[in-house]
Amino acid sequence: MQHGAGMKELTRAEAVSGPLGAAPFGNYVLGPAYDEMFTPDGGLRPNYAALGERLASLPADELNRRQQACEQSFLYQGITFTVYSDSKATERIIPTDLLPRIVTAAEWARVEAGLKQRIAALNLFLRDIYSDGRVLKDGIVPRKMILGSKHYRREMRGVPVPHGAYVNVCGTDLVRRADGTFVVLEDNLRVPSGVSYMLANRDVVRRAFPGVFRAARVKPIEHYPLELLATLKSLAPFHDDVSIAVLSPGVFNSAYFEHAFLARQMGVELVEGRDLLVNDNVVYARTTSGLKRIDVIYRRVDDDFVDPLNFREDSSLGVAGLFNAYRAGNVALANALGTGVADDKAIYAYVPRLIRYYLSEEPLIENVETFLCREPAQLSHVLANLEKLVVKAVGESGGYGMLVGPHASVAEREAFAAKVKADPENYIAQPTIQLSTAPTFIDGSVEARHVDLRPFILCGEETRIVPGGLTRVALRKGSLVVNSSQGGGSKDTWVLSE
Amino acid sequence: MLARVADSMYWMARYIERAEHTARLLAVKLESMVEQSPEEAEASWVRVHAGLTGEPFKHARADAFEIVRETAFDPLNHSSLVSCLGFARDNARQVREQLSTEVWEHLNRLYLRLRTVTVESIWVHQPSVFFRDVLEDLFTLGGVTYTTLRHGEGWHFLELGRFIERAQLVSRLLDIHFGLAPGYAQPLPAPKYFDWLVLLKFCTAFEPYSREYTATIRPEKIVEFLLFDAEFPHSVRFAVDRLREALEHVAPGAPPARRSGCERLSGRLKAAVDYGQIDDLGSVSVNRFLTDIARQCEQVHDAVYAAYIAYDAETVL
Repeated sequence: MQHGAGMKELTRAEAVSGPLGAAPFGNYVLGPAYDEMFTPDGGLRPNYAALGERLASLPADELNRRQQACEQSFLYQGITFTVYSDSKATERIIPTDLLPRIVTAAEWARVEAGLKQRIAALNLFLRDIYSDGRVLKDGIVPRKMILGSKHYRREMRGVPVPHGAYVNVCGTDLVRRADGTFVVLEDNLRVPSGVSYMLANRDVVRRAFPGVFRAARVKPIEHYPLELLATLKSLAPFHDDVSIAVLSPGVFNSAYFEHAFLARQMGVELVEGRDLLVNDNVVYARTTSGLKRIDVIYRRVDDDFVDPLNFREDSSLGVAGLFNAYRAGNVALANALGTGVADDKAIYAYVPRLIRYYLSEEPLIENVETFLCREPAQLSHVLANLEKLVVKAVGESGGYGMLVGPHASVAEREAFAAKVKADPENYIAQPTIQLSTAPTFIDGSVEARHVDLRPFILCGEETRIVPGGLTRVALRKGSLVVNSSQGGGSKDTWVLSE
Repeated sequence: MLARVADSMYWMARYIERAEHTARLLAVKLESMVEQSPEEAEASWVRVHAGLTGEPFKHARADAFEIVRETAFDPLNHSSLVSCLGFARDNARQVREQLSTEVWEHLNRLYLRLRTVTVESIWVHQPSVFFRDVLEDLFTLGGVTYTTLRHGEGWHFLELGRFIERAQLVSRLLDIHFGLAPGYAQPLPAPKYFDWLVLLKFCTAFEPYSREYTATIRPEKIVEFLLFDAEFPHSVRFAVDRLREALEHVAPGAPPARRSGCERLSGRLKAAVDYGQIDDLGSVSVNRFLTDIARQCEQVHDAVYAAYIAYDAETVL
């Protein structure tokens, strides 16, 4: 995910008093973005006061030592992902930054309410498009956009889903605008990952700053696996002696650590496709004693690979016949199939309208402003302001089919404008986004780096959010890309009790 | 327990046992080589090589440095110490959620540490010390496993793997001391007093043997001890007793009909070591007996897989 582009050159804050300017903050540069720790004039925000003082009092090599201890702990725990190159596989840890990102109780309350509202609307939307399609008949969302989406699963029409909760685990990416408000950058409604890093980060950071942690009265997050278990249990077709499994693509998947971690923490079986079989529309696991029935599957395998009979034939990760067992109501899948239709770039722009349509409420967390080229008024705005906008093709990802207006030449902009005019339905546009910056430990000192925030929302019989989430950080100076594959790391996220 | 999980637990234990065996043979050999003549040391190294690899000897001469490199550090040799620990760790990773954090982290740390070591780096000091340290770590791993893991089905699969492997490794080692090492062109000089002593040490058996038979070294007593002693953890009989026990506890829900094959075969193996006797120390008789033990271990392994791990789903529906 590329958070827009067009960064301005950062300028060093001048003549600041207080901790900014002194070690370990000597290289801390405030830019135009919101900074999590410092106010624009260089003062410490109250939620960071204790941490700021602690950092200023620690010798530099002590910080280094704690950062190394933290990395070593990740290595020993095996919290690694595998990089394949020249036939040699190397395991690397995902860099963890020692310094927590601190969110106040008031900020969190607003985020939490907004996320619950958003997931409620998205689940209602999914139920709607897989049943009556009222939202399409009412013209709120264009029918063609839904039925033409490659993530729309016709097979899911009329399949009952427990509690109407299509999305049981959601990871929503939030960023903070320059004015300090959180906005949604992206909904991840398929198989979002990262929650194990949230928990592992807490574990090491609490050990690195025990005093500050205790004094700050940070809200706990350790109960996430229990909440996930309760959510999965609530999906079971019946309620006695429910047998739950986490379905993983296997040890070569980059999120394998997380799959194993969650299974262990919940006390449920970790299975792969080859462990399961379907007989008479019932799913069984092959055990040493014989076959054991499975009632709920937390699947960490994409829709396409779940069942080679119904979806991709060449999938060896899935289970033949799983979809029929699911449709027969003999097994619950979390997340339901077909949720991807609600998290693509075009639907994203409609989510505020969906919230109003289904809940008759105003969205509590806004979207990043998004222009839909399919609407004539917005199209003309986009064409008139191409030099300020990032224009993206709806069906593409990974930076393809994209124009970064501020960096493009006049000729490039004109060529792209022609493409947009020819097929406006395929394009959206957004202003370039500034992510907030947070203190990050870089080569012995503390510097500002851009961060986002991915809280995890659980949705079964009820909706639960563990306070916090995964803060991802772009470790390269000035970079806005927080992905681990491109120099991103992660941080512990502290939500304060008051 | 998932059949795939049982498979990984079983192999994890087998590889750890093999790694322990390798570390001990190399430590003992490196410690004892100073007391042997060059010819004796060479024959003894060839036997170590055979005991560890079961493969024909490809080196021009038995050079300690090269043999240690091959059997401990060569990643392309699938039975080297570093390979065994790598495979043990791969299997542990497959069943990470079944293991305690302590077991996993101990094994992972040991592997990560070992991966960076080379034969050159240990040769500048006393190389045997390195293998003694690895042994210490493996003993700790055994203790951590015993004390932090639930002694449920998974643990019994670990026991099963460990003791099948041990029975085979000890049998092979005895076999090599009583006859031709497999695949070797010329016969090795017959083991001398010192070789028998070292054989006992390869199996941590010198002190227990001495208490039983005094320190008088007699090959027939050594065979008797390493094959038939009921109480010594590295005897074949002890290993067979443990694997019998483990088999009683695995797959608790499997019906008697599925258990019968494993019970019959492991019972026959137990009878062989409970009532077996070696009258004639001619290599033919000893080798035949040991070959039969090794074959029976293989049959138990196959029966376990057929009954509990690689069974055809149609047969249980």
